[in-house]
Amino acid sequence: MMIKEIITVILLIVGCFFFLAGTLGVLRFPDLFSRLHALTKADNLGLGFIAAGMALHIASPWAVLKILSIWFFTLLASSTSCYLIARFQKEKEQPTDRKEGE
Amino acid sequence: METYKIYILTSAVLFVIGIGGVFMARHFIKKIIATVIMGGGVFLCFVSFAERDALTFADPVPHAMVITGIVVAVASAAFALALARRIYQLTGEQSFPIDK
Amino acid sequence: MSVLIDSLLAILAIYLALQCLLAQRLIQTVFIFFAFGLALALTWVRLGAIDVAITEAAIAAGFMGVLFLDALRDFSPAVSKKQQNLEAVRNPLPGNDTKRPILPRLALGLGLVLFLLISLEAVWNTPEGKGLTVVTGVMLPDSGVEHPVTAVLLNFRAYDTWLEIGVILMGLLAIFAAGGKEVYRKSGMTAEDPVLRQVILFFTPILFLFGAFLLYFGKSGPGGAFPAGVLWGAIGILLHLGGRPVLTVIPRWLLYLILTIGPGFFILLGFLLMTTGSTLFEYPPAYAGILILIVETMAAISIAAALTAIFTNLNQMSEEPDKIESNN
Repeated sequence: MMIKEIITVILLIVGCFFFLAGTLGVLRFPDLFSRLHALTKADNLGLGFIAAGMALHIASPWAVLKILSIWFFTLLASSTSCYLIARFQKEKEQPTDRKEGE
Repeated sequence: METYKIYILTSAVLFVIGIGGVFMARHFIKKIIATVIMGGGVFLCFVSFAERDALTFADPVPHAMVITGIVVAVASAAFALALARRIYQLTGEQSFPIDK
Repeated sequence: MSVLIDSLLAILAIYLALQCLLAQRLIQTVFIFFAFGLALALTWVRLGAIDVAITEAAIAAGFMGVLFLDALRDFSPAVSKKQQNLEAVRNPLPGNDTKRPILPRLALGLGLVLFLLISLEAVWNTPEGKGLTVVTGVMLPDSGVEHPVTAVLLNFRAYDTWLEIGVILMGLLAIFAAGGKEVYRKSGMTAEDPVLRQVILFFTPILFLFGAFLLYFGKSGPGGAFPAGVLWGAIGILLHLGGRPVLTVIPRWLLYLILTIGPGFFILLGFLLMTTGSTLFEYPPAYAGILILIVETMAAISIAAALTAIFTNLNQMSEEPDKIESNN
């Protein structure tokens, strides 16, 4: 019992650390692309750790499934929106490049 | 201090911030958002009192009223936005003119 | 510990509300507004109002934020260059705010402080009441559902809920009147993007399923018609943004039917119940559960259609000037 709780707490702390790192990145990084990188990668990892910690804490199969699906959908949505924002910015910065690439 | 008391004080502050925003903000969108914040303060007051009157469950009547209230607030904000965008299209104004 | 969390959350909400109104650029205002909505949603969770939290996160933060964000396409600086020049001609002095006389501002500030003190005193010293918790608890077994909030929404205060679905429809009608589109067109904004298209296609059935789950779950826990309606409305909005605008596909009469089926069925049921000798919206306890579920489903469909239509209309508003110019 104790070990499970300790692992949960460790997972949650690690998750919070990644969120903190991601937020710091958003605040401190110079341009949009590196900010997006910090936001989506670090935060998704942090969310993954927190989801794992909560899943371990609750330990009922349905709840675990729900938590994992929350994590999965957030992953999908955030990476898609990251891609869309990045693409929009790229088009705005160098509109000719994309036409050549196509 | 019980939980609801913190939020009751918060609700009053939010409401006044909203009122201040309605008067001070220039742009239409900010004015609309200020009314939404005012609404948020009122909802917070309702739900706080629901928490105060909780027995085995919190008082559901304020909860139901707040849910309907949120939807009404969205409908009115959407209408206000439509008006604001229409005004902008027709006159080019983004805020009410200061001079009468 | 819990007082600490609550205090932090309260301070966060107040800070975000202030920042939202003080932000220099409109896009900051809108994004802080998103954050403010989510902070409020957390507040509802702390106060045990999970239904309100879901509704707030979905409608107030999500849907309303999307509407504001969409409106920025009209008001963004790039678009309004012409407008700025116009204003520069009208008000030659930069910084209109400094021109304002100091006295009204002082009066307004004093008034606000006074008002803050009065409202603090008013909410702090509200006399103790019992509320309606006991009454609801006693009546709950007759309502046909186990969740008190759903019982209040769809049974005890069904008349209010009916009116409120009507308010959404009124909002839509008002938007039509304020210059919304009668003819829906393809937005064509990001239609060609393969990633967006695939993700939207992937999310459509999941959102539908999740909405249906919330709808059904509403009888025993937080959920119900409003969150479900918003999720289904989100499908319509996503499809519209992804280049598959649903409103252009379905015929006009069908849209009107979908929009009115919720409140229509609701009030029809109420009148039918009156013919059996009960009052308006007084369900017979034996059938209350199934009747509430049907009413909720119809209401959710109507809410979803109304939200989709509201978004589509507002989204198409900014496309009008181009059309006028090209006609000229």
